[in-house]
Amino acid sequence: MEKATMIKAMKVSISNVLETMFYQMVQIVDDDCGLQAWFAQGQSLLGATLNFSGPSAGSFYILIPVDMANEITANFLGLDAGEIDAGQRTDTVKEALNMVSGGMFAIFDPKGAFKLGIPEMMTEDDLSHDKLKDLQGDVILLETEDNRLAAAIAMD
Amino acid sequence: MAFNVLIVDDSLSMRSVIKKTIRVSGFKVGEYFEAADGKEALKILADAWVDLVLTDINMPNMNGLELIAEMHDDQILRSIPVVMVTTEGSEKSVQKSMEMGAKGYIKKPFQPEDIKRMLNSIMGEAEDGESDDDQSDEGFDF
Repeated sequence: MEKATMIKAMKVSISNVLETMFYQMVQIVDDDCGLQAWFAQGQSLLGATLNFSGPSAGSFYILIPVDMANEITANFLGLDAGEIDAGQRTDTVKEALNMVSGGMFAIFDPKGAFKLGIPEMMTEDDLSHDKLKDLQGDVILLETEDNRLAAAIAMD
Repeated sequence: MAFNVLIVDDSLSMRSVIKKTIRVSGFKVGEYFEAADGKEALKILADAWVDLVLTDINMPNMNGLELIAEMHDDQILRSIPVVMVTTEGSEKSVQKSMEMGAKGYIKKPFQPEDIKRMLNSIMGEAEDGESDDDQSDEGFDF
């Protein structure tokens, strides 16, 4: 399996999902500054992870600032941002990762050799600014008009 | 005529979005039922009259393909049309779902139009078949 092809498919899928379901135009940022430099110190993040298995195994993850998670949840559910609760936010972040990962495999793996797991939220501790440098994998940095987010593929 | 719809997805947000999408599509729904996995769906199907099932594939406890298999093994439930609404977009998943009896397949992310088109196509067929003798014989009261 070519990781580069997988990353390319991931980029296409993220743009597609965020535009279609969450009304967010995203740009891929060609920079390898790392997650710690990408997100501001003290910025609250939500993260979800999803394992995959098959010809090779690993995990995907997505990191989104809480205010952006709130915005995409409001867009997704057709509610005002002020009406969104924490449960709806985490559920939407997990579903976003689920759709991005499924879309990625639809491009990368049309024969269906890979199997996707169930998305799970990352802990607050995993997402502390100090620990962002410890997150493994190939990182994709993305930005919207107002925000920065990131996704990654980590192979086992 | 309004149809009762069961939406099966482990994401509460996705269930809500699908419900809202059906509502704005103008498709007439009598009652919505929701389940977080295949097991919950089977419990609802045992107790309530459902005309159409929309289900995700990738769910904990019992996934969408297992749900179709269980429905297919049941003489009454096998007649209910099932549409997959899922992130699993591989040819293999689509083919497997259709072989197991799914009537349609909608890939997430979807446009409201995708759902509307699918529901009209499938439930249009169901409505056309209402006057069939075999259904009347079984006493189904739509």
